[in-house]
Amino acid sequence: MTAMGDTVADPAAQVSEQEVTAARRTGTFGRIFRRPSAAVALAFVVLLVLVAVFAGPLAPFDPDDKNITSALEGPSGEHWLGTDDFGQDVLSRIMAGTRIALAVSLGSVAVAALIGVPYGLLLGYMGGWVDRIGSRVIDMSDALPGLLVALALIAAFGRGLWSVVFAIGIVFCMAIARLTRAVTLAERNKEYVDAARVSGLRPPEILFRQILPNLIAPLTAQASLMLGAAMIIETTLSFLDVGVEGVSWGGLISAGADELRRHPFLLVPPGAAVILSVLAFNFVANGISDVLAGTSLGSLRSKACPSAAQLEPSASHAKPLLADGSFRPDGVLEIRGVTVALPRPGQDPVPLVEHTWLSIERGEVLGLLGETGSGKSMLARAVLGLLPRPTYLSAGSVILDGAEISGLPERELRGVRGREISAVFQNPTTALSPVHTVCRQVSEPLRIHLGLSRSEARDRTVELLELVGVEDAASRIEDYPHQFSGGMAQRVAIAMALAAEPKLLIADEATSALDTTTQAQVLDLLLELRDSMNMAVLIITHDLGVVAETCDRVAVMYAGQIVEVNDVTSLFDTPRHPYTAALLQANPAADQASAGRRPTIAGRVPPPGEWPSGCHFANRCSFAQPACSEQPVLFVDGVRCLRSEELAQAGALR
Amino acid sequence: MLKLIAYRLLLAVPQLLAILVLSFLLTYLVPGSPAQALLRFGATPERIAEVEAELGLDSPIHERLAGYIGDAVQGDLGESYLSKRPVTDLIVERLPATLSMVIGGVTVSLILGMGMGILAGTRLDRPADRAVMAGTSIAVSVPQFLLGLFLLLLVSIELEWIPVVAYVRFTEDPLLWARGMLLPSLALGFAASGLIARQMRAGMAAAVHSDFGASLAAAGVSRRRFYFRYGIKNAMVPVLAATGLTLAILVGASFAVERVFSIPGVGHTLLHAVTSKDFPVVQGAVVVIAVLVIVLNILIDIGYALINPRIRVQ
Repeated sequence: MTAMGDTVADPAAQVSEQEVTAARRTGTFGRIFRRPSAAVALAFVVLLVLVAVFAGPLAPFDPDDKNITSALEGPSGEHWLGTDDFGQDVLSRIMAGTRIALAVSLGSVAVAALIGVPYGLLLGYMGGWVDRIGSRVIDMSDALPGLLVALALIAAFGRGLWSVVFAIGIVFCMAIARLTRAVTLAERNKEYVDAARVSGLRPPEILFRQILPNLIAPLTAQASLMLGAAMIIETTLSFLDVGVEGVSWGGLISAGADELRRHPFLLVPPGAAVILSVLAFNFVANGISDVLAGTSLGSLRSKACPSAAQLEPSASHAKPLLADGSFRPDGVLEIRGVTVALPRPGQDPVPLVEHTWLSIERGEVLGLLGETGSGKSMLARAVLGLLPRPTYLSAGSVILDGAEISGLPERELRGVRGREISAVFQNPTTALSPVHTVCRQVSEPLRIHLGLSRSEARDRTVELLELVGVEDAASRIEDYPHQFSGGMAQRVAIAMALAAEPKLLIADEATSALDTTTQAQVLDLLLELRDSMNMAVLIITHDLGVVAETCDRVAVMYAGQIVEVNDVTSLFDTPRHPYTAALLQANPAADQASAGRRPTIAGRVPPPGEWPSGCHFANRCSFAQPACSEQPVLFVDGVRCLRSEELAQAGALR
Repeated sequence: MLKLIAYRLLLAVPQLLAILVLSFLLTYLVPGSPAQALLRFGATPERIAEVEAELGLDSPIHERLAGYIGDAVQGDLGESYLSKRPVTDLIVERLPATLSMVIGGVTVSLILGMGMGILAGTRLDRPADRAVMAGTSIAVSVPQFLLGLFLLLLVSIELEWIPVVAYVRFTEDPLLWARGMLLPSLALGFAASGLIARQMRAGMAAAVHSDFGASLAAAGVSRRRFYFRYGIKNAMVPVLAATGLTLAILVGASFAVERVFSIPGVGHTLLHAVTSKDFPVVQGAVVVIAVLVIVLNILIDIGYALINPRIRVQ
């Protein structure tokens, strides 16, 4: 955003590149005005335009009609908004001023677009040095206050309407150029522009046919903000008596300022006119931006798969269910029939994880294997009591060492997290706060759970970092996360998770973002720590190799359900669920003998809300029968498949 | 850190040169010539040529540009057409009042904005959050000078809490100076505080929803502890970036606010020059104000580096 163009711009209404993609969805503008605030604001803008157009015939008096005998009167039946120091009717003058206010704001934003859009298109489309130099020019404009630029241009061109329109337009053109450039850059790199280029469209055609339509929505939001900002500049210029000559809101405010002691009411009508108009433009802009950002009608998927947890615990309505067959009720952690759901307005909640039973024993390494979107991370969050709002635990319970922890108040859950159960997440480079030292963050559990003093925690942090293999730990604890490599940063995150010696560590895709060598080292570290601390580890992954190398037992998850649990060797040797078998066959390292074409699983994992009513895998399973889709399949004896025994005996899953 | 400051100063050089060129070119935008504009209507061509020679407007453009930049670098921005006084003096003598208002405005915008942003950011999606956000929408819609007038009316005239007094220089009496700056700073900083509050709130929300928010929560850090130990400091990064952008806005708005409170700032000189077509003063004001904004931005960048270690190390 440009300082020049942002006199009152509202950052919430700033248009980001991400929103731009959303803009391609049709019907954007229709949805904006279902929001009451935006609809009222738009109605106000329409009213302003009507007043400006019909100010002449509508106004009760001639705005310049002086009548000294009735000067400085308050509101009355005759003069609804009173009179000014010359006895002129304030309402009529406000209506006349609407003309200049609207003409200048609309005109200047149009000028800004006429200059800014082509300039931004040029930079974004050309790229390279044109873009580098051109963008520097945009950045330079940040040092010039918009009002100053407008004043300088008015000094040169005078106070005519066109002169003021041009002066304010120049103020805003850089901000428009910046937005246009960003959109163009984003669009330029998209496939369809490449496709257009290949198909022989010439560059100008590409620009106008492909990029401009995508610009319209974000540009409209930005322009609406600028209309408000331009109106403030116009009013300020008129107040300073250097704006367009004639009846203006700024001039009326100036007249009110002169009578501040005698008749302060004179300030109110023009002040309200300005504030309400600017507010209206800002609300229209907010309405457009909100719809672009998709907050009013977010898709199910984006809510169902949030990237990070909120700290707020979800309300849980845990009710125990009977255990399925393979459940071992003696673990350090027992997940009993856990179901996580996402509420939908006016509809039944969508389950994201369904009737999950799982137990982990002390010192055990359990793998939770599943594709993206299978619900495995959601299950981990449910265990930690960190489900992202608005998802919640709709059934089941989580038992830690025989005591139920689901549904505990937040205060008590805090004593569990980090102390009893800890977690390490996927991306090591973002797992630690970038603006705090490593020492401060790793010592958090020591200070919170073990009550160590600052210096004790510091000493222990050094030991912990040495334990996880950070070299020269003593000299590195005052470093910041970005000073560590990915692998080292993940070791630091593990040190933080282990600081208070929890009984269970959840590693949620903790090695997926690392390169192969580093991944192996970090996995080895986890195994060592398991041995030295007798800690259970739940490894959540989509990687069969990770499971094969580290886990004792493995649970396979598909579309929100656990479909098979077994010890690693048995699962790899004799899969009992068709999905497990298909996964193993699709895995490159699984069977070197059958080089050649590897089968992939046809179709896609159904997203939450689209799960089949029977077996979730039925529509992709090559062994499916009509019975599979009739009713929910129970989890019996470690597997959730109607034909499991039959297929195993036939050797069909090998 | 010294390296960072040197780098920022180096970056400012082309920016400053560009602004000098632009401000120099301003007189070439004038329809006719500056001399004509100065003499208004009815001037004979002989008289115009005479004035042009007098003002040094008759030499070729590149010579004049080189001369202008050469002089400007040494602090000489030419002479006022009207008073014949050096432009630099005319503007610099009024800079302290403008600077006082701007610093006051920035202070108000940070205190109010961070306060509101923390209030909203620690109560995301709850009524207090929505109320604060609605408040910021209104804040950014009120022209600064208009708020100044309302404050003057309410606090000084109706309630008589702060008397309407002439501007007192800081060097004369710091206390009276501060009292005189209270309302102008509030008027100037309130709209910007809406922008700051939104950045603060967005920064805290981003921290809560971040990966490190999840890691620290999983380590047992309570939400409250997270807000105050991690959220605020992380949010300061976007807040300071926004502060840099609001600076230019505050400087511009101060031209109108100083009229409301009768403060002898640069705005008065500038407006007088604009209406009387005294171009050297207009050009000089553009240059001095740009330098002021650039210098203040460098100071903010230093603060930015203090908070954000990734920048500090580079």
